[in-house]
This record gives sequence, C-alpha cells and structure tokens, in this order.
Amino acid sequence: MMYAGIDAGSRAIKVVLIGEDGSEIVAKGQVDQGVEQDKLACRLFEKVLAEAGMGRSEVRRIVATGYGRNAVPIADTTITEITCHAVGVRQLVPAALTVIDIGGQDSKLVRLDTSGKVRDFAMNDRCAAGTGRFLEVVADRLGLSLSDLGPMAAQSHSPAAISSMCVVFAETEIIGLLAGGRAREDIVAGVQTAIASRIVAMAGRNVEPPIVFTGGVARISGMEMALEAALGHAVAISPDPQMTGALGAALLARRHFDNMNW
Amino acid sequence: MSEAPRQITLQEWDDRYERLRARGIPQPVYGGPLGRHVEDGDTRLLKLRFDNSPAALRLWNFLLTEEDRLQAARDAGKKLVGTMKDLGTVPVMAYSLDNLVAFYPDGAWWIPCVMEVNSGLLQIADSLGIDESFCPVRAMLGAFVTGAHFPIPDLLTCSVGATCDDFSAIAQRLNGLGHPILWWEIPHRRSPEEDEEAVQLPGGFSAPRGQVEFVESELERVRIALQDLAGQALDEEALARGIAQANRVRRLLAQLRDVVFTATPCPMPALEMLIAEMLAIHFCSDQEETIVVLQELLDEVKLRVAAGRGYSSAQAARVFWVNPVADLQVMNLLEDCGGRICGTEYLFAHALDPIPLNVPPMEALAQMALADPMVGSAIDRAARIVAEMRRFGAEAVIVSRIPGASHCALEGEIISEIVREECGLPVLEIEVPPLTDAVQPTLRTRLEALVETVVNRRSR
Amino acid sequence: MAYTCPYVPAEWIAAHGLRPRRLIPLPVEGALTIPRIEGLCPYARAFVNDVAAREDVDGIVVTTMCDQMRRVFDLLVRRVDRPAFLLNVPSTWQTVAAQRLYLEELKRLGRFLVRLGGREPDQQDLVRVMLSQARGDGVPGTPYTCDASVGWVLNPRVKGTLMREPRGLRTHPTCLTHHHSAGVPLALVGGPLMQRDRVLFDIVAECGGQIVLDATETGQRGMCGPFDRRRLAEDPLMELAQAYFRIPDASRRPNSELYQWLKDQLTRSGARGVLFHHYVWCDKWHAESSRLKEWANLPVLRLDSEGQGEADGVRIRNRVRAFLETFV
Repeated sequence: MMYAGIDAGSRAIKVVLIGEDGSEIVAKGQVDQGVEQDKLACRLFEKVLAEAGMGRSEVRRIVATGYGRNAVPIADTTITEITCHAVGVRQLVPAALTVIDIGGQDSKLVRLDTSGKVRDFAMNDRCAAGTGRFLEVVADRLGLSLSDLGPMAAQSHSPAAISSMCVVFAETEIIGLLAGGRAREDIVAGVQTAIASRIVAMAGRNVEPPIVFTGGVARISGMEMALEAALGHAVAISPDPQMTGALGAALLARRHFDNMNW
Repeated sequence: MSEAPRQITLQEWDDRYERLRARGIPQPVYGGPLGRHVEDGDTRLLKLRFDNSPAALRLWNFLLTEEDRLQAARDAGKKLVGTMKDLGTVPVMAYSLDNLVAFYPDGAWWIPCVMEVNSGLLQIADSLGIDESFCPVRAMLGAFVTGAHFPIPDLLTCSVGATCDDFSAIAQRLNGLGHPILWWEIPHRRSPEEDEEAVQLPGGFSAPRGQVEFVESELERVRIALQDLAGQALDEEALARGIAQANRVRRLLAQLRDVVFTATPCPMPALEMLIAEMLAIHFCSDQEETIVVLQELLDEVKLRVAAGRGYSSAQAARVFWVNPVADLQVMNLLEDCGGRICGTEYLFAHALDPIPLNVPPMEALAQMALADPMVGSAIDRAARIVAEMRRFGAEAVIVSRIPGASHCALEGEIISEIVREECGLPVLEIEVPPLTDAVQPTLRTRLEALVETVVNRRSR
Repeated sequence: MAYTCPYVPAEWIAAHGLRPRRLIPLPVEGALTIPRIEGLCPYARAFVNDVAAREDVDGIVVTTMCDQMRRVFDLLVRRVDRPAFLLNVPSTWQTVAAQRLYLEELKRLGRFLVRLGGREPDQQDLVRVMLSQARGDGVPGTPYTCDASVGWVLNPRVKGTLMREPRGLRTHPTCLTHHHSAGVPLALVGGPLMQRDRVLFDIVAECGGQIVLDATETGQRGMCGPFDRRRLAEDPLMELAQAYFRIPDASRRPNSELYQWLKDQLTRSGARGVLFHHYVWCDKWHAESSRLKEWANLPVLRLDSEGQGEADGVRIRNRVRAFLETFV
C-alpha cells in the first residue's frame, strides 16, 4: 500500500508516492499549473500511478498541499505547504533546523525544533519581489534562461543594488541598469542579493543552521550562495527541492492514516 | 578664487590636490586628497562630481572625517552625546560645555549611499525586522550594532511626539536592543487659540505660550542630563555662550544661502550646499571648525559672484528643493539636467534661523525646537516653502520623497497643492532611494522634463 | 462626533451633551477623499474616506498617536468641510508634564466641543456620565459582555458608541470560564483593525483556533481601565484622563508598558500563540514584530495586510492554518 502527496503550487503540480514504510519515494511526477488544476492534478496522479504500475486502490491516503490544495478533489485532507515542506526536508536532511523555500510566487522561512516540528515560520507572499518571479523577470529581460542565471551571477564582482520593494518597479530598475551599461552579471547578482535580503528580513537575527534551501528556486544555481552571503551561514540545497512539498504531504498522509501525532 | 568654478571628478580632484599642495596651500589637520576616503570604503565618491574650490575640498574632508573626530574626542576623555531626531536644538546645549561633543547618529542614513551598500548596515536592520519599508535611517541601527562607524555615545537623546513614525520605531528598536534613551516630548505645534497667549517663533510660525513652556520643561530634563554627564554646570551663562556660537554658524549659513540662491550664474553646486546646510544640525562634531569651513565657502562664493562666475549656465532652471536626498548623486543630476539649486528645505529649516537672544536661553531653545517645520502641519511647512521660493525667485519645486519615511506619503501632495495654488509653479515629486544607479534614466527623464517646462514657461 | 483613536474619551464627549461615535472604518464606494498612495497607512486612509463620506458627522477628532494620522489630519482640514480637532496625545508617559499635557488637551477638546454646540459640563455631569458607562458583568477592560445563551456579545456601553457594529462577531474573545469552542487559544496583538478585517476572527475559528485575547487597538487593549470611584468623585476629569492615558500602545516611548500589559494578559488568557497583525506602512507596529518574537515565549505569526478584507483573506487564511498546524 502507498501514500500520496500532491503539491498544487503556483507554477507546477507535483505528485509523490511513498511506500508502506515511508522510507523511499516509489514514484513521482510533475506538470505545469494551468486553469483547470483539479483535472490536471487528477491526470497527473493517474499518470504517476500508471508509471509505477499501481492502481488507485493501492493508495491508502492522499494529502494535498500548496496554494491550490483545496481544488484537488481526490485529496482526503489538505495540509499547508509550510508544514509539508518542513516534513519533506526533514526526511531528506534529518538534521535541518531551518528551511528556506523560495517558490514562484512566495517565499518562506521555517524554523524546526530538534524533533523536526515546525517551531516558527515567516512568509513573504504579498509582493513577488522576494520570489522566483523576480528571477524570471530578470531572465526574460536579459534574454537568458533560468539555468543561465547562476553561472552569470558567479562572474559578478559588484552586484547592482536593486532598491524597489515591488518586482514591477524593480523591472524598471533593471532596464535602467542595462541602459546605463551595467554588466548583465552584476544585474543578475543584484537580483539574487535582493531576494536574499528579503529572506534575511524574514529570518531575523537568530538563524539556526543547518539551513536547507528548497523549492523551485533552489534549482537555480547561485541562489544558495547569495543566501549564504546574506545569512552568514552555509546553506545546503535539498535533494529534489521541487518535490519536498509533495514528499512531506505523502509522509503526512502516512502519519495521518496511522493516527500518529503530527 | 584662482580657477574658473567647475565640477570635477574625484580623480581630477586628486590631481588638483597635488598641484595645490605643491603651491603650499594651507590645509587643516584633517585635510588631504579625497581619494583616500575611497580606500576607507566610501566608493560613492568615485561617481560624484565636486566643486573645484579648496573651500569645497575642506568641506568634504570635514564631513568625511567626522568619525575620526568622534573617536579622538572619546580618546581625549570627552563625553559623546548622540542627539537623535532633534535637528539642531540639543547639540546647541551640548556644545555649550567644552567636554561634550554632540553628533547625529541619524546621519548614518548616508552610509549605505557613500559606501554603496557595502557597509552591510541595511542587512543588519533587515535582520532586526526593520526592512526597506522603513526610511534609510534604519542604517543607524546597523551602525549601533557594528560600532564601526561612530563610537557608541555616552548619552542618547531622542525627540518624540510630533516626529515621523519610522524614526520613532527605529529608535524604539534601538532602545529594545539595550541602548538607554532619554526621550523628550515635542508636541504637535499648533496655532494659538483665541484665549491663549501667542508666542512668535523664529521663522514665522507662532505657538501658544503653553506649548513653549512645555517644551522648555522637556529641554530642562535634557539640560540636567547633559550637565550630569559633563560634570559641569550647564547654566544660563554657558547656554548663552552656546547659543551665541550656534548663531555664528547660522548667520554664516544664512549669508551663504542668500548669496548662492540669488546669484546668477549659481556660484556653488547643489551638492556642496546640501553638505554645508547639514553642518547646522550638529556642526559635524566640531563647532569651531564648522565656522571656519563655512567662512571659507562664503568667501569663495562672494569672490565668484563679484567676478560674475559660476559653474552653471545663466539659463539654468531655478529649482527649490524639498527634503534631503538619500543618494547624494541626485544633486549632481539636477545640474546635469539643466537645473540649479535656488532654495532648500531639508527638514531642518529652523536650524538655519538665529536663536532668539531677547528671551532666556532655555525659552529661546524651546521656541527653536517648536519652530521646526516638521513638528507642525504640512500646511505650515508649505507656507514657509512658498515664502522662501518667492524670496529666492524659484521657478519650480522638487519634492524628494524618502522611501519609507512616514511623512512623505501625504506631505508632498499637500505641499504640491499649496505651491501650485499660491505660486502657480510646476512641482515634481520624485523618490530617491540610497542608490539611484538603477533608476537614473527614470529620474533624469523627470528632471529634464521639469527643466523643459520651466524654460517653456519663460517664453510665455 | 466621530473619532477612531482609543485615547479620545467617549465619556468626555458625552458629558458635553454630544454623541461620541467611534468609527471603525469600512470601505467607501464612489469618489474618495484620499486615493491609494504608496506609503500611506490603509487604516488612516480608510478613516478619512469613511468619515468624509458620512453625512451624519458634525465634527471629527483625530489624535497625534502616529505621524500618519497627523498628516491625514492636514488633508482632512483641506478637503472635508467639517470641523476637525487634532488632539495631541503625548508619546512619553512617564513624566508628570506629559500627563498634564494630555489633561490640558482634553480641556482644549472640551472648548472645541462647546464651540460646536456642546455644553460645558460641570463635575456632576461628568461623574454621572462616567458612572453610567460603568461595565456590568463584562470582563474588566473588554468591550464584550458574556451572555450564557449566545456567548459573548458587544458590551452595550461600547455598542452605543460604535458607529457600526464590528462584523465577525461570531467568534469573540472568551474569558477563561466560558469556553465555547475547543480551538487553540491565541492572542491577537496589533494596532487597530478595520471592520472588514475582523474576518480574521472567523478565519481563526475556521482553522481551528480561538482568539482568547484581543490585544488590538480596537479590542481589549484599546479600552481604558475601570475608574476608581473615589478619585472619580474627587476629580472626575483627572480620573478620566489618567484612566485613558494608561492605555498601553506601541507608539508610546518607551513602550515598555505595552509589553508589561501583554505579559500580564497573555498569562491570564492562557494563549498558546500570538497572531501579530499590522497594516502595511504602519511603522510603529511593524517594528514591534521582530521584537515581539524575541520577547514572547510563545510562537508568533506576523500578519501584514493592506486592509482589503477578504482579498487579504486568502493569504491570511493560509498562514493562520499553517500556524495552527504547528500546535498539533
């Protein structure tokens, strides 16, 4: 028997299946978000099951998470992505005490206690300037792909200062910097620094390592270094960062079914 | 004045400095090439343009060596007083005693600009929960945490009440970090009611006698604290001396402003005038030297005016500037775009007015504190701006918003409305963050458009 | 007489024979006196727009508790054709001079009220008004009275002074002896809450929580303490001034009294966590967020909103739900 986690995020829907003992991922899949996300989620779930050679009746429980979680009709229950990311990261990095999740539309900092429970969290979801959206904007403006950003930022010796709190106005600043002849690597590094500084504002003074970086933006190289520079601590990228939410949801599905205290 | 006035880069200044030095030009103990400050981390200087007079060089060196003076004062056994928010009153009291040095921790707001954010001060403020939705003066928090920009003062005073929210919040956060603060109340200045005795304040406002007495009682608490810190009596005689000295500075500044703002072509650039005016607040930690610096500047501009020389075109748009800028480079930009400074209101206009001598010193200081335009309504502030605009013949107004400063959200709107009603002149509101490199094209477009508007209006 | 700040004593207005009306802003349709401006506190803006749109307001009282309201007053006098008064509430509280200043300001307000058609109250008028507003069986210092059959309802004394009843009254702060739900007990701390933002109480209940301490300006914290009857008889205005002056707030300098009050109330209420709410651009409360987290021995969730009510609700609901999950 298996347990499933469905993370209906703002950019992509992810599904993870874990086995009876919860120790490993049996199957996983991802699809871009769209308008009919209920149908997208169901289709992805069926597809992942099929690829794993499993049937629906073999899934004991499904937990949905992410902003779109309430629109997943097949979920037995919903749990916020804050809790799910924390559980997922802790499964992959058992010593983690701080989790940073930067997604397409929001960013979170979650503090865990030594038992892995969420102790405290902070979020930035009112303005996209601290999120992956900002990186998309700069990539688009500079004619780069997201995967180009890291190597480009690594060439910078002097990140540009981006002052706007809003990504719309920050885009204007990027245009201004380009017009002023500022090197592209400095602009990219500046954007990464700006995102990292928002994490610092959420983190406050007491950031406890080990710090694990997860979410879609963790896959963009260079961001972890910007975070390290801003936080003053080493930052490790979670294995399979885009899947930690769905993994956490699946693990919580198992715990929930077993009536364990989560 | 030996050379034609012009604005030069840092590199040009360092070359010029060598030539001046070779000619044996006298310089103060804190003198030297400007380039050395870049080595200390003040990299913004590489992007600024400076007036080419030795007087301006002295001014810049004076400003950029304040940290050294504060440390020297501490080493010499003097007590340091950090006077927060209050722009120009408590320092007058402190400098009345010879073993006190007052400085303005809020001045740290320029550090992120001057060091081009490399100081890390804003990040420290972020980590304390004071993010960029607050005024850049939040850099002050970082400066207190690192202790790397000024010695931690022996006494901190802070005016509260009719003051801006963001500074008040930042000061409270500082207090929460374990820095004791002597809070003193400045009430919202209002006009006297019919049954109240009116007191005419310096600068043209009036207030009820009751408010003056209240502020005097608050300053009395500050006086006692200063006295206890110094271990010397801060009596009427000492205060009278302090006021006389402060008035010397104010007289010099008033003359400097009158000469510069009314002359054509403009004999001193906007950036140097901004720095010079800031000296009125706390004398850059050396009151005597402030007088020398300002006198030299005044002598220079008088020579230039007598020779009919200035750095700007005679056709430059005459701009009245409201609020100080977080990025010094914007003052250069004004001139690049064809404007020239013709009047200012940098949040401390009251610190430029002479302190009254016809009343006892403490009452005089209370009147001064209440005369602060920021302590009353924006309508009052606008009235003073209109009066000064007319006096100096301004053709346009720029209201420079400070990002995150609580007073800027609405004040600009009120000032703009009143200026347009009273003078019919164009008003431009711009926002100036600590580093404007990224928004230069945006700012340039706005400033150039304002200048074009002014020039077109002339031909009507 | 419309006002919104808790430092405006309703009893003082009532003693002048005028009707005090505490306005908790609602959104206004149609032409607005002040549009949305970056840097302008949504609460301050909403108050001016709301009061300007009403026809049943004869006068307006604003206080100097924050710079935002001070500046908003400037626009009010220019754009709204209604008599308005700016009450100077000192930020400092620990000196006799500050307390005296507040008392003098109340007297000055009294003169304004007389000019507006009120009558100058004698001592007995004021005593009578203050006694008639004395609370019944409500929890001291709360705006709510416990009705055994329906739970908590708005205290009639407060109800009489509010221009509109707050929405979201299904779930109220409950006293320790009257638990009506098994939700996680939470404290709500912050500045004022607009009416539409009281949906927060419903969101908390939906997510499995229960607000047992409303320490916002529009809740328990914004109520003055009970009057001392002996002092009231001797000098009612002084007693009124002292009672109101003691309301703790983040804007006070220093604001240590706020934290003392919070410490007492958090202990008394049994709250297990804190929801910290502030409006975007409300600097004085925003700045306390980090300090509160460092100070409180409880989990703290920061909720910043733009005063959009349900539009903020999606974000807030997600955060509140995640916060409550940490208690399981």
